[in-house]
Amino acid sequence: MPLYQFILRRILFVIPLLIGITLVAFLIANAVPADPINANLPQSQLNNPEIVEAFRREWGLDKSPVEQYLTYLGNILRGNLGRSIKTRQPIADDIGRFLPATIELATAGTLAGVTIGITLGVVSAVWYNRPVDFAARTVSLVGVSVPVFVLALLGLVIFHAQLRWVAGPGRLSARIASPPEVTGFMTVDALLAGQWTTFGDAISHLILPATVLGLYISGIIARVTRSSMLEVLGQDYMRTARSKGLHERVVILRHAFRNALMPVVTVIGLSYGNLLAGAVLTESIFAWPGIGRYMFRASTSQDFPAIMGVSILIATIYVVVNLVVDILYYFLDPRIRTAR
Amino acid sequence: MSTSSTISSIRVSERRGNNGVKALYLARKNPLMVLGIIVVLGWVIVSILAPQLAPFGPLQQNVSNRLQPPGGEHIWGTDELGRDIYSRVLYGGNITIPAGLIVIIIGSLLGTIIGAIAGYAGGVWDETIMRVTELFMAFPTIILAMAVTAALGPDIRNAIIALVVVWWPSYARVVRGLVIKTKHNEYVEAARCIGATESRILWRTVLPNCLAPAIVLATLDVGNAILTFAGLSFLGLGPEPTSPEWGRMVAVGIDYFDQWWTWLFPGMAIATLVLAFNFIGDGLRDIFDPRMR
Repeated sequence: MPLYQFILRRILFVIPLLIGITLVAFLIANAVPADPINANLPQSQLNNPEIVEAFRREWGLDKSPVEQYLTYLGNILRGNLGRSIKTRQPIADDIGRFLPATIELATAGTLAGVTIGITLGVVSAVWYNRPVDFAARTVSLVGVSVPVFVLALLGLVIFHAQLRWVAGPGRLSARIASPPEVTGFMTVDALLAGQWTTFGDAISHLILPATVLGLYISGIIARVTRSSMLEVLGQDYMRTARSKGLHERVVILRHAFRNALMPVVTVIGLSYGNLLAGAVLTESIFAWPGIGRYMFRASTSQDFPAIMGVSILIATIYVVVNLVVDILYYFLDPRIRTAR
Repeated sequence: MSTSSTISSIRVSERRGNNGVKALYLARKNPLMVLGIIVVLGWVIVSILAPQLAPFGPLQQNVSNRLQPPGGEHIWGTDELGRDIYSRVLYGGNITIPAGLIVIIIGSLLGTIIGAIAGYAGGVWDETIMRVTELFMAFPTIILAMAVTAALGPDIRNAIIALVVVWWPSYARVVRGLVIKTKHNEYVEAARCIGATESRILWRTVLPNCLAPAIVLATLDVGNAILTFAGLSFLGLGPEPTSPEWGRMVAVGIDYFDQWWTWLFPGMAIATLVLAFNFIGDGLRDIFDPRMR
C-alpha cells in the first residue's frame, strides 16, 4: 500500500471518532440539570435581554436538541468554542494562549519518560532476573504507584526548597522578563532572542515538572520495553548476530532494540493520554500556565463552556497523536507496506 | 498487548487445572506479592479500626495548634486548621479504599454485561457498542471524569459515578473479545441442542467461562482506580473540602509545601496502598502470563 493511501485510510477512520468526541462533550454538557443560559452567562449579563437573545441564537437554544448539536458542531468547526465564564474570553483564544506552555511541558515530559522508561526496560531485559532487573522493575512500579501530585510536591521540597538545584513553580522567575513571544515556548523564544540567562531560567523551571511527568509515564514504557526486548532476545537471529562475532553492544542496540521498538512506540502513543491527564495535576501544583491548569480552574468554578472546549481539545490531541503513531508504523515496520 | 496474551494464557492454564497449587508455589516465589497482600489487609484493618486507633477525631480542629511539625501529642503533626494528621490519615482509608473498590466493581460489572451482549449478539449491536466504547476511550481518564464530575456537581458520590462512566469501556472490550472466542465452543452448541434459550446460553454457559480473566484485570486495576479517585479529590472534585480523604489532604500541600508533614503522610498512604495493589497485580500477571515474567 502506498504511503498516501495508508495515511488517507487512517484519517478517514479518525474523522467519525473526532465528531463523536464532540457529541460526547455535548451530551455531558447537556446532562447538566441547570438552564444552559444560567450555566453559561455570568450574572451581570443575565439581566440584559439582548445578550440572552444573542446567546440563544448563537447556540440554537430555541431549536431541537439535534439542531442544537449541529449548531454546536458548526460553531466548533468555525473555531468558536464559546466564551469562558471565568476569563470572559473566547475559549479558542484562551486555549491559544495556554496551549504552548502545555505542549512545551508535555514534550519535555515525553522525552524524560521515554528516556527513563526505555533505559529501565532495556537494562531489565539484558540483565533478566538478576538483581538489576528486580531493582529496575521495582523502581518502575513505584513510579506508577506514587500519585503524580505527591511526586511533584516531593520534588519541590527536595530539589527546589532544600537543595536549590532547580527553580520553583511558574515558567520564569519573577525577576526575569519574558522573551518576545514567537512560538509561545519559553525555551525556544529565549533562544530565538539570544537571551541565555532567560533560557537557563526557563530550563530550570521546566526540569522538575517534566521529570515528574516523565516518571509518571515511564513505568508502563519500561514494562513494555522489557517484555518486548525479552521476546526479541530469544529469537534465532540474535544467536546468529552473536555467532558472527558482533560486539554485544551492537547486538543489543542494533539487532534487538530496533526490532523491539514497535510495541514501545504504541505504548508511548497510548501513554500520551496519561501524560495529558498528568499535566492537569502537575500544572496545578507548579502554577504552570497551561491548559491543564485552565481545565482545573474551569472545573472547580463550573465554567462549563471551558471544560467542554478543553475536553474536546485534549481528546483530539490524544487521537491525533495515536494517528501519528499509526503512521509511524508504516516507516518502522516494512511489512505494513506490502500488506493487503 | 498484555491484555490479549494474559487472557489466552489464563485460558490455557485453566484447562490444565491445578491452578491453586501453582498459585501458592508462585506466591512463595514472589515475596512482593505476599507483601502487597499484607499491606492491603493492613490498611483495610487500620481503616476499619480507625475510631479505636485514632487519638483525635478526623474533624477535630485546634487552630491555636496549627501546622505543628510531627512530634509530641501529634505524632504526624497538624494541618492548617490544627487537625491531627495521623488520625485523619487513619480515617481517610474509610473513604479512599471503598471508593476505589466500588468503582472497579460497578465499572467491571457494567462493562462485562455490555461487552457480553455486544459479543454475543454481534452485528449491529456489536458495532454500535464498540464504537461507543471507542469514543469514551478517546478521552484521557481523568479529563472525562473531570467533565462528568463538573456536570454532576463535585461530591463523593458523583466522583464515583464519573469514574464508573470512565471505567466500563475497557471491560466491555475485553469481555466482548472473550465472549466471541467462547461462543463458538462445542459445549455452547451442545447447550443450544438441548434447547437452552439464547439468554440462558449467554449468562449461564458462555459468560462464566469468560469471567476469570475479567476478574484478574479488575485486580490489576484497583490501584489505578484509587489513584484516579485521589487525583479527582486532589483537584477538589471529590469529597467535601473538610473530608479526611487522602487526595484532598495532599491538596493542602499546594499552599503549604514547606510544611511537608501536612501532605507527605496522606500522600504516602495513597502510595503504599496503590503500590501494594500493584505488587498483587504484578504477581497475578506473572502467574497467569508467563511471557511477561
